[in-house]
Amino acid sequence: MRRRILGLAIAVVTVAGAAGCGSSSAGTSGSSASGSGKTTQVKVGIVPIVDVAPLYLGQKKGFFSSRGIELKMESAQGGAAIIPGVVSGQFQFGFSNTTSLMIAQTKGVPVTSVANGSATTGDTTTDISGVAVKKDSPVKSAKDLAGKTVAVNTLQNIGDTTVREAVRKDGGDPSKVKFVEMPFDQMPAALDGGQVDAAWMGEPALTIAKSQGARVVASPFAETDPKLTLATFFTSTRLTKEDPDLVKKFAEAMAESLAYASAHKDEARQILTTYTKIDGDVLKNLTLPSWPAEYDMASLEKLASLGEQDGLFSDKKPDLKALFQ
Amino acid sequence: MTPSAIASVKTKPAGTGAGPGGAPGRRGPGTVTALRGLAGLAGLVAVLEALPHTGVVSADYLPPASEIGRTLWHLLAENAFWTALADTLTGWGLGLAIAVVAGVVAGVVIGSVPVLRAVTASTIEFLRPIPSVALIPVAVLLYGTDLESTLLLVVYASFWQVLVQVLAGTQDVDPVADDTARSYQLGRWGRVRYVLWPTALPYVMTGVRLASAVALVLAITAELVIGSPGLGHEIAVAQNSGAVSRVYALVLVTGLLGVAINLVARAVERRALHWHQSLRREG
Repeated sequence: MRRRILGLAIAVVTVAGAAGCGSSSAGTSGSSASGSGKTTQVKVGIVPIVDVAPLYLGQKKGFFSSRGIELKMESAQGGAAIIPGVVSGQFQFGFSNTTSLMIAQTKGVPVTSVANGSATTGDTTTDISGVAVKKDSPVKSAKDLAGKTVAVNTLQNIGDTTVREAVRKDGGDPSKVKFVEMPFDQMPAALDGGQVDAAWMGEPALTIAKSQGARVVASPFAETDPKLTLATFFTSTRLTKEDPDLVKKFAEAMAESLAYASAHKDEARQILTTYTKIDGDVLKNLTLPSWPAEYDMASLEKLASLGEQDGLFSDKKPDLKALFQ
Repeated sequence: MTPSAIASVKTKPAGTGAGPGGAPGRRGPGTVTALRGLAGLAGLVAVLEALPHTGVVSADYLPPASEIGRTLWHLLAENAFWTALADTLTGWGLGLAIAVVAGVVAGVVIGSVPVLRAVTASTIEFLRPIPSVALIPVAVLLYGTDLESTLLLVVYASFWQVLVQVLAGTQDVDPVADDTARSYQLGRWGRVRYVLWPTALPYVMTGVRLASAVALVLAITAELVIGSPGLGHEIAVAQNSGAVSRVYALVLVTGLLGVAINLVARAVERRALHWHQSLRREG
């Protein structure tokens, strides 16, 4: 009897799994109907942050609809929800930082980056991320972070590897920096309350912290590489084979959107109000990333070697040529 | 049913009694209770208003109650807010309905077949404590960030609440009543309808009330973590944007929603169990 129940349970799980696969393949087959002239609905998994402004701007400007792509943003709370969504075919494309994509690839997750997302401003005084400390902190520059506690949003990812690089370049000992994990939005309060000595923040948290008197001592992205490619749009390797035409059109539309956003920063800033709740002075003062239409492969190699150095990929090496197409 | 099982169940109704029994016993002092509740709420608002001014916490991270109230007022004028509220209620209501129906059917079937009960007991005890939140990756893999993801978590969490209560209810059947029904030649269905169901109903209602609270928590959690549409997602977007008072205003809404849901659940419970001894007024 017990065995029968177990068998039943297994059957239920299998059916649920099969149903999942069924619905996901239905999702992709729906999109592969992207013949000429037809409109295809494309779901893009994104995090509602500053970096994805070109996607929204491109949608508004019709760069996607003119190519027969009807965009639907699926706003998730981070890569943890986006990568499985793309791999299972729930989303056709997703937005992710480049280190996460390299980690995914070395773990055997079948993803391929198809269009650029965002890059550092390259300006070490005003970048889209920064290590902030309290006004009266003894930390004056990156090397003083050795022996201090620094908050990052995700451990073993782009934040801590680039902060370590900034400390290293400034002549400090990166192995002495202690990292703790914390969401960006809680960092200004944690810094103020003294729970951490420093916090690596992205926008708009960085601008908020600065307006409350925090001091920026390092800009890890710009210091790692002035052209560092931070995030890209990716898809499942399966979709690149099943519907190369759709992938190509999406990449073209994205390149056009990035170029437009770069040329019209004010419009890009304004579009933020449609999908975030950023307003007032923060909206006016926050730093926008660069949006080059192409990846910077040299900077990605740099990022990969930093990741290897910090043991992010176990003992594997990311294959950048295959990953960033 | 063994006498020991009945004995152990007989000690249980305290648990259920607290459900239907608690407040409605005294009707007269109801307004006093309500007033006291309001006074407590007013006290909380006063503390929230005062705290940021004392410097214990910065107004940057905990805005005074008046500012949260103003944000809430603006929120009420937004279409997006009402859509989000509707999304959350849809996820909650659908999930709860599925869980209740499935829980009651499964509970009555398992509870009235002793063999089935013996066989499933360990499985239920194994599956029940698995936190719904742990199923998030599975939910995303199967359903992406749509309503179905929310439903999976909500149904999983609230199903057990109902099932366990229904199982306890089916155990509580008075053997004399059951034997009487048998000697009057009532069939299986008749006994379920006239003996088992009235006995189990107070337990079912307790289960529904517990599940309705759990379902709300899970609906908001799913939206917050996965990003499926609803109030939880609005909170997440506001957090990402550093819109602090908006976050608190939305949290306040979810709290009020919880209170409202509990009130409705209690009202439904009272209505469904008006004949039950725990709800009948003396004299």
